[in-house]
Amino acid sequence: MALKRFEKGFMIFLLVAGGLLMMIPFIWMLGSSFKPENEFTIVPPTIIPNHPTFKNYVDLFAKMDFMVYLKNTLIIVLCSFVGLFLNALAGYAFAKFEFPGKNKFFYLILATMMIPGQVTMIPTYLIINKLGLVNTMAGIVLPGLVGAFGIFLFRQFMSTIPTDLMEAARLDGAGELRIFFQLIMPIVKPVFAVQGILTFIGAWNSFLWPLIIANDERLYTLSVGLSLLKGQYASKFGLQMAGAAFMVVPIIIVFSFFQKHIIEGYTISGMK
Amino acid sequence: MKKNWLVALITLLAVSVIVAGCGSKNNNSGSNAASGGDNKTVKVWFMGTSESVEPIAKMYEEKNPGVKVDVQAIPWDSAHDKLLTAVASKNGPDVIQMGTTWIPEFASAGALLDMAPYIEKYPELKTENFFDGAIQTTQYDGVTVGIPWYVETRGLFYRTDLLAEVGYPEGPKTWDELKDAGKKLAARGEGNYMMPVDAKDQNYLSMFAWQAGSDVIGSDRKPQFNQPEYVEAMNFLNSLYKENLVPPTDLDTVTGFKDGTVPMFISGPWMIQAVKEQNPEIDGKWTVKTLPANKNNKSLMGGSDLSIFKYSKNPEGAAKFIAYLSSEEAQLKFYETSNSLPALKTAWENEQFSDPMIAAFGKQLESAIPTPMVKEWEEVSQASVAAFERITVGGADVQAEMDALNEEANGILGN
Amino acid sequence: MKQHANSWHKYKYPYLFIAPAILLLTVFSILPIIIALVISFTDMDLLGLADFSNINGAGFTNYLGLFKDPVFIKSIVNTGIYVIIGVPLVILFSMAAALLLNYGTSWLFNTFRVVYYLPSITNIVAVAVVWGYLYNSRYGLFNYILSWFGVPGQAWLQDPTLAKLSLIMMAVWKAIGLNMIIFLAALQGIPRSYYEAAEIDGATGWKKLRYITIPLLSFATFFVTITTLIGWIQFFEEPLVMTKGGPLNATMSMALFIYNNGFKLSDFGYAASGSFVLFIIIIIATIVQFLVKRKEVEY
Repeated sequence: MALKRFEKGFMIFLLVAGGLLMMIPFIWMLGSSFKPENEFTIVPPTIIPNHPTFKNYVDLFAKMDFMVYLKNTLIIVLCSFVGLFLNALAGYAFAKFEFPGKNKFFYLILATMMIPGQVTMIPTYLIINKLGLVNTMAGIVLPGLVGAFGIFLFRQFMSTIPTDLMEAARLDGAGELRIFFQLIMPIVKPVFAVQGILTFIGAWNSFLWPLIIANDERLYTLSVGLSLLKGQYASKFGLQMAGAAFMVVPIIIVFSFFQKHIIEGYTISGMK
Repeated sequence: MKKNWLVALITLLAVSVIVAGCGSKNNNSGSNAASGGDNKTVKVWFMGTSESVEPIAKMYEEKNPGVKVDVQAIPWDSAHDKLLTAVASKNGPDVIQMGTTWIPEFASAGALLDMAPYIEKYPELKTENFFDGAIQTTQYDGVTVGIPWYVETRGLFYRTDLLAEVGYPEGPKTWDELKDAGKKLAARGEGNYMMPVDAKDQNYLSMFAWQAGSDVIGSDRKPQFNQPEYVEAMNFLNSLYKENLVPPTDLDTVTGFKDGTVPMFISGPWMIQAVKEQNPEIDGKWTVKTLPANKNNKSLMGGSDLSIFKYSKNPEGAAKFIAYLSSEEAQLKFYETSNSLPALKTAWENEQFSDPMIAAFGKQLESAIPTPMVKEWEEVSQASVAAFERITVGGADVQAEMDALNEEANGILGN
Repeated sequence: MKQHANSWHKYKYPYLFIAPAILLLTVFSILPIIIALVISFTDMDLLGLADFSNINGAGFTNYLGLFKDPVFIKSIVNTGIYVIIGVPLVILFSMAAALLLNYGTSWLFNTFRVVYYLPSITNIVAVAVVWGYLYNSRYGLFNYILSWFGVPGQAWLQDPTLAKLSLIMMAVWKAIGLNMIIFLAALQGIPRSYYEAAEIDGATGWKKLRYITIPLLSFATFFVTITTLIGWIQFFEEPLVMTKGGPLNATMSMALFIYNNGFKLSDFGYAASGSFVLFIIIIIATIVQFLVKRKEVEY
């Protein structure tokens, strides 16, 4: 028992030490966002500002069309969640069905993950242009709606679900869609939570593509707005830090919310 | 549990409807923007935040009832990408703000309209209204494709108190004085330097080369990197490294300027505000002057021009708006909203520009010239930066490195 | 015909399930890749982009040019170094973090789950500024810590060898969180009963880890390995924001090289051919992973 307590103590020590190391840059960012501009050049640098101020945050909202950008960002986030669902469906098919061409399709999807985004940007733009989707929300959202990473992740996790479960449900006369929604989705809840977080972050931070597609500031996202500020006030560290900190806070909230579902009981007996 | 997922499904469906909805809704406004050929709307792309341009657009709209100026702000970092896609799709604004260094690239691609007919039509656009160097940035291959909008150049920031201590209260006027002052400043002890050399900035090297009498790239598109003038400039800069006068690259210039370890630096007008805000402690102990001269004291002419996009559906309206932006009223307003220096010479007669630091930049503008107007300049200048790095970091021989660079530049320029 | 109808009926659901994903990926990923492949055999630049009639075929000139370009060769070597050092570190640390976090369920563990995840979600601009300060040779925290031990200050980002390691350190820090939650999700799938059975047999913590946890994580490990590998071969953001590929191209990665040529120099043909070389390298690396996986015994 003493050994067990020692083990636990050691684990907690590792956890806290590692966590603090991970936190340093983040704490610095948060602290800096409250610094007045002339406090950035102090040597040695201060972690907690000597003269804390909210000016950076006030400036941030004064200089951005905040509500418009927030609305667009949220629309993109919502649309991405549709993509999450499509990813799950595809991952499910690859994990639990046999059909001709399965492997070919799967490798095709994997291949899309391997090309650097920079090189396909202009061709994708030309396609969007041909489809008449420039300057539309659809043009912003569609290209990134589904992704190989998500499909792969779902497939990987769903392939551990015992096929017997589905067979049993089929014998009970359940339709395939019902099996997916009522049986599979609850089982892979942790993966949904993981994917949900990733999707949210991706959409929340989406930047270059919305900018390229938008020919109208009414379609700008928060990240684009921040980048505008950064270009204009390159030497204002405080403002940039406030912007960066502000962008992170909602993600922390969403993460804290979803992470419960990653951990929440998910004990299907007999699962590998 | 089951109900949860039913809710999730309904939510998803609802969201799909939203997606479809927002897609079509914005499609309408999209087609409006694309077909803005009603001669009433002028679509303008600006870099930076729109708060600096919006007021001027409002002034214009008041003067021209029924006309609408649609300003879209684009972040500088991504502006080049955005312009590329606009060129690719032939779908863009009427007026574009062009960084002066982008003119050759986009002009050679035929993306910018010839301004000659509009210069005839609007006296505000006459070339003699603007700084010479700024006009040079608007011309490519003998065609004028832009109108200067605002300008910036580089000057020498220095600590008056510290430079006075080493005998140069007015700041160094020549290269020799610059280096002499630098040696004395660095000799104040460990951790003291002369000035940073911004070796990553291709224009920095060019300024010294121009001052030594080099053209960098001749009018016949022949690079001059291995010629004595360019080599002299590189030798001069390299000697600053060799004698430990240059601070390490990650030493923050503004901090060094405040604590006196870096008493000089070369930069643009935007640093006036930055130094004032970050270093209020040294107010009155620093100023700006024109660059120290060798054969001349040429500096970089930077800033932005205004061009009409080739595929504009409203070039007439675009030209009229550009003419307004070139008026003294608009130029002064823009200085007020953005601190950008006016390209219009007569605007400088106003009292806002009597401040000695601003005036120093005004004086420097008269001898400022743009980077070589070849579309391959970006690539050539990157090569020159890499070559200089091989000299200062890698310790390569200057002449040999410049011979190699010249050959590489010839290859890039297709000679 | 009847057979067709039959097989359609038989495979209706999987095809319907993958249809939206396949359709979207075909239009917005596969098609652009094919277009890029065509571009890689041309001399397309901005002039060509403005007017397609200006585009000329270039055969294999771009590809041949790449292998004569010392910067490209260097970028391949650098990318190899990033991958060889970075990928194992990411897998190791993120698995370790997940195991630690899975150890308990008290508020402490819940809080630190967020803490470990923070770096992954912090805006890259903020990351660049903060790490720039940490690495600063004069005021930076790292050199300050070294000075406690009498070690002289290092030029973290200015020394060609050290700069690579500095970028790797930063990238590992940033990548742990993402992979950690994937491992965490996988750990949740291991039934407690397995451990209970092992405990009855007298297994210690280490043995449980070695013989139950790690084997049962293999499917997650496989996923993390492949995606991390692909991600690191495309190493891009860190050198872009921290060093722009310098000093002396010591931190230039292949993806950054492609970006520079494509978007800075508008040399689209050359950039596209570079990305196909990169593509082929990634495919080979992925196939090797799948082969290794296949050889392993299924649990």
